[in-house]
Amino acid sequence: MRPSLQLYRRLLTRYLRPQLGQALLLLFVLCINILLQLTNPLIMRRFLDSALAGGSMELLTRLALLFIGIAAVQQVAAVSSTVLAENVGWRATNALRRDLARHCLRLDLTFHQQRTPGEMIERIDGDIDALTRFFAQLVVQLFGNGLLLIGVMVVLLREDMRVGAAIGTFVFITLLVLGRLRNLAVPHWQRSREASARFFGFVEERLAGTEDIRASNARVFTLFRFHQLLRTFWQTTIRAELLGFSMINIAWFLFSVGDAIAFVVGASLYFSGALTIGTVYLIFHYTNLISQPIERIAREFEQFQRAGAGIARIQELFATESRLAETPANAVKAAPLPKSGDAGQAGALAVAFEQVRFAYPMEAPPDFASSTNGKFALDGFQLRLEPNEVLGLLGRTGSGKTTLVRLLLRLYDVDSGRVLVAGRDVRQWPLQQLRSQVGMVTQNVQLFQASVRDNLTFFDRTVPDARIWKAIDELGLAQWYASLGEGLDAQLQVGSGGLSAGEAQLVAFTRIFLRDPGVIVLDEASSLLDPATEAFLERAVARLLSNRTGILIAHRLSTVQRADRILILENGQIREQGKRSALASDPGSRYHRLLQIGAEELEI
Amino acid sequence: MTQTVERPPLSVAQTWLGLIRCFPGLYSLTTVIRILVFVGIFQATGLIIRFFFDSLTGSAPLAWGPNAWAAVMLAVALLRNGLIFTDMYVFFRWTFSTAATMRKNLLEQILSMPGARSLPGSTGEAISRFREDADEVGNFTVWALFLLATGLFGAVALFTMARINLRVTAFAFLPLVIVVAVANLARVRVQQYREATRSAAGNVTGFIGEMFEGVQAVQVANAEESMLAHFEKLNETRRKNALRDRLFNEVLSSTFHNVVSIGMGLILLLAGSALREGSFTIGDFSLFAYYLTFVTNLISTFGVFVARWKQAGVSIGRMDRLMQGAQPSDLVRKTPIHLSGAFPPARDQSTARTELLQSLCTTGLTYRFPGSGKGIFDIDLRLERGSFTVVTGRIGAGKSTLLRVLLGLLPAESGEIHWNGQRIDEPASFFVPPVSAYISQTPSLFSESLRENILLGLEADDAEVTQAVRAAALDTDLEQLENGLETVVGPRGVRLSGGQRQRAAAARMFIRQAELLVCDDLSSALDVETEQQLWERLFARRDATYLVVSHRRPLLQRADQIVVLKSGRVEDAGRLEPLLERCAEMRSLWEGRGSDGAA
Repeated sequence: MRPSLQLYRRLLTRYLRPQLGQALLLLFVLCINILLQLTNPLIMRRFLDSALAGGSMELLTRLALLFIGIAAVQQVAAVSSTVLAENVGWRATNALRRDLARHCLRLDLTFHQQRTPGEMIERIDGDIDALTRFFAQLVVQLFGNGLLLIGVMVVLLREDMRVGAAIGTFVFITLLVLGRLRNLAVPHWQRSREASARFFGFVEERLAGTEDIRASNARVFTLFRFHQLLRTFWQTTIRAELLGFSMINIAWFLFSVGDAIAFVVGASLYFSGALTIGTVYLIFHYTNLISQPIERIAREFEQFQRAGAGIARIQELFATESRLAETPANAVKAAPLPKSGDAGQAGALAVAFEQVRFAYPMEAPPDFASSTNGKFALDGFQLRLEPNEVLGLLGRTGSGKTTLVRLLLRLYDVDSGRVLVAGRDVRQWPLQQLRSQVGMVTQNVQLFQASVRDNLTFFDRTVPDARIWKAIDELGLAQWYASLGEGLDAQLQVGSGGLSAGEAQLVAFTRIFLRDPGVIVLDEASSLLDPATEAFLERAVARLLSNRTGILIAHRLSTVQRADRILILENGQIREQGKRSALASDPGSRYHRLLQIGAEELEI
Repeated sequence: MTQTVERPPLSVAQTWLGLIRCFPGLYSLTTVIRILVFVGIFQATGLIIRFFFDSLTGSAPLAWGPNAWAAVMLAVALLRNGLIFTDMYVFFRWTFSTAATMRKNLLEQILSMPGARSLPGSTGEAISRFREDADEVGNFTVWALFLLATGLFGAVALFTMARINLRVTAFAFLPLVIVVAVANLARVRVQQYREATRSAAGNVTGFIGEMFEGVQAVQVANAEESMLAHFEKLNETRRKNALRDRLFNEVLSSTFHNVVSIGMGLILLLAGSALREGSFTIGDFSLFAYYLTFVTNLISTFGVFVARWKQAGVSIGRMDRLMQGAQPSDLVRKTPIHLSGAFPPARDQSTARTELLQSLCTTGLTYRFPGSGKGIFDIDLRLERGSFTVVTGRIGAGKSTLLRVLLGLLPAESGEIHWNGQRIDEPASFFVPPVSAYISQTPSLFSESLRENILLGLEADDAEVTQAVRAAALDTDLEQLENGLETVVGPRGVRLSGGQRQRAAAARMFIRQAELLVCDDLSSALDVETEQQLWERLFARRDATYLVVSHRRPLLQRADQIVVLKSGRVEDAGRLEPLLERCAEMRSLWEGRGSDGAA
């Protein structure tokens, strides 16, 4: 995919508009800088001609001092413009980073299951880094140097039409050649960046898995893969670098051609008496002065190429659409939500699955046991949960339990049938409201290297501490949180140095308590807790489930003791369903048999 | 040994020399070409310009006309381009290779650290060190070369100018001395700003990593906007730091330029009378002007060099902190990076097998988490061959920590480990297959095929893999896979469920045929039937010695020895029945399960 000019323009207008004031100031400083750059050589010409013609020392001294003064002011303008441009660049790309991160955060799991966090770092930060240069330097280098180029041409044409024509032709051809070469390296940069993303993605993943690498004695093998990816990285990079550099090399040669032209034209006009020697020097000086802008422009083209590769990948990301079509705003009005007035306490909501059929998308089979391609993870699935009812969901891994929850939370959309929350199709709910009403505790709890407070609120600083402490108190976890040290300000360490997996579950419980949803899903929430703590938490779970509809996914029977109803899934089909007490006392039921296994275990 | 001993990182010069030692050929070749270009070609160009202008006024030493000088100019340019292009390959190879060498050394060192404590921060932060800091040091060596080449050029230029007009030369170059002083004064600041910018950048990348690692949690918690708000704040901090960094550098380099511009003005001021008298030709003037442009480069190169030197120092320091416990010089240890030719073997060739396990003892084993003071204290443990030991205890009692310290995945603060009575000094390198195998609570899988994830480079035939898969009760899952063992499991194994990941890790353990099998709560993500199946198959291997963390009653009943941990200490140990009688903590743990299993 080759980024079009239109795309560059769209990016520029979109992200520069909010900083119009800064941009105008930058423009002003830039123009002053250029004017001063144009003036000084003219002073030098005057000086040379006066000196060679035997002009007064007083005049020569005045000219020299003026030259020094202008040079000093020009430097101030140059620094200001660079720093201003840098600022504009960072602001623009930070806005872009935020937008891209937002877009990616909203993409469904099909997208995320194909990408490592390291790859996301490379795409959101690495690619945009190249763009920072694009934004920061574009104005100063391309625009400023373009202006300087035009200024020099105007001055030269006024000196002598022939000189202006000769140098003008040279500039025109040089820019044309360099422009032609512009897109040559783009696909190579793209490949190089992809290889780089894979390489650093590999390193990131391995750094996160050092414990397993160590314990499995897989160091040598890890280094072997490192070498393989490093070589691909090298091969793609050197190709792109050399191609990009060829262009600069060609530019350098063209400047020497420019010098030669200035020599030949200047000398012949000097000998014919049309120019003074000072003017010949002026022409030579200007030719060198514009070689710098041209080189910069060429170099920026190279940066363009890098940025272009980045832009192409950013565009690709932006073009990736979530498989979940966002609910149109008017649909919300059309059928008002039941009890949706205050999202905080909507009370328990009914949940229903009607004739649900779902297969994981072909390109990203997730839990593979449930997704031999084309096979439906759920087929004709029916379920009704009244408000306040608690369902215990049992089944082997891959039987469809997790899929069911994912559909309920709309991490995926059903292929046919409907999922209803509070009597309304989840596709008709604004996604945000749906997810504030349906809460989930997963097996693996994601913690952030941040304070306890930020971990509990997901960095939402508007949540008052009092509310957090109230949730902690109700869960009876005040003592545990106090043991972490500085209360809510205590920093959690990610990885093995910090919380145990069980302790992370306590954090997840508090998180969900804070959000106070109407439907709650506990996906094997107690699996990593030791029995003493688990018994202790039972009371908290009871608090959590009161006045809420609940789905308890469990691999262990003890977890579902709290359920009103039991549902056993097998290969996406309901194997058995009924009141827990009834099933437990029915010797023919599968649930009863499972209880027996559990009981037998206790007697081994 | 919980805290790494404070020792200074490698100096910039040592790093530089170390890298040259790694690739002496590349660096000397690029040095030679650069000197040729700067001292040969660039000097020649200046002289051509001088001769051209003098040929206009008729004061040139050679009788060639202006057009001839134009032709010579083009010829020299062609030669220059040829040289520079050759240099580019060598130069890119050098920068890539040096960065790759440091990256490999970092990775190797991290992989040789106690596995559970191998990184001082988040992986995203570590990646920023792998990515930017390694590049930074590579860039520095290039600036150093620039400085050398422009320095040589400057020396030749000074000599030539002094011969033309000593007074003008002396006064025009006087300001340079001031510049050097300024640059020296500014050194400290450069480092401060640089460190701040780098760490702000590390926070940004670290957060992106965490945000997307937990993307499902974020989506489900409806927390996209608050996460983004935090992300924006981190970005804003980085912008401010980068801007300050940039402003400072710009002012510094502009000062150099400025002083040189003034130098140019001084030439005008001083050469005025000489030009009038004719003792200073227009050719001389053009040569001085040409040299001054280059001297601008020299001085700003020097300024950049000073800044880069400092920045490289910062980067080396940051990388050094990743290399906990290694010699600082290991960062630039000579190591093959295999950019071409055959790859090294994919697996460990050493087949040294330690004697069979008879007994394993620990005495006074202690580990404290830095900061929190939690950990394990004075653990005495004894495992006999073929025995089954269960470690149990409340949440946060130190069960996982005990396993990790024993295996060397965390460094013990004090205490000893004995294998058949022999003291093990380096548990981290001793407790690996075939001595021991280990499954953590949340095992890591990688974006590779299932087979590769199980083998991790181990050599085994299909039958052995199939057997391990069966032993791990993963066989039925496997049947449903379109590509079987070749199925790619996704980043960190996300395409598998938690239970499948754990059983894949179990297969990884079984195929290693270890003497000692260590499992941290193997059952945590498994359903009743699968878990039962797994344990049956596990116990079928009678010759192995087991050390597992669990609260499961069947396992506790089966255990030859139960170790009850409380607040990091051994509360009691023994078989179940006596423990239930005498140990309150054991009773509480046992009852905890009993109360909700009874209904």
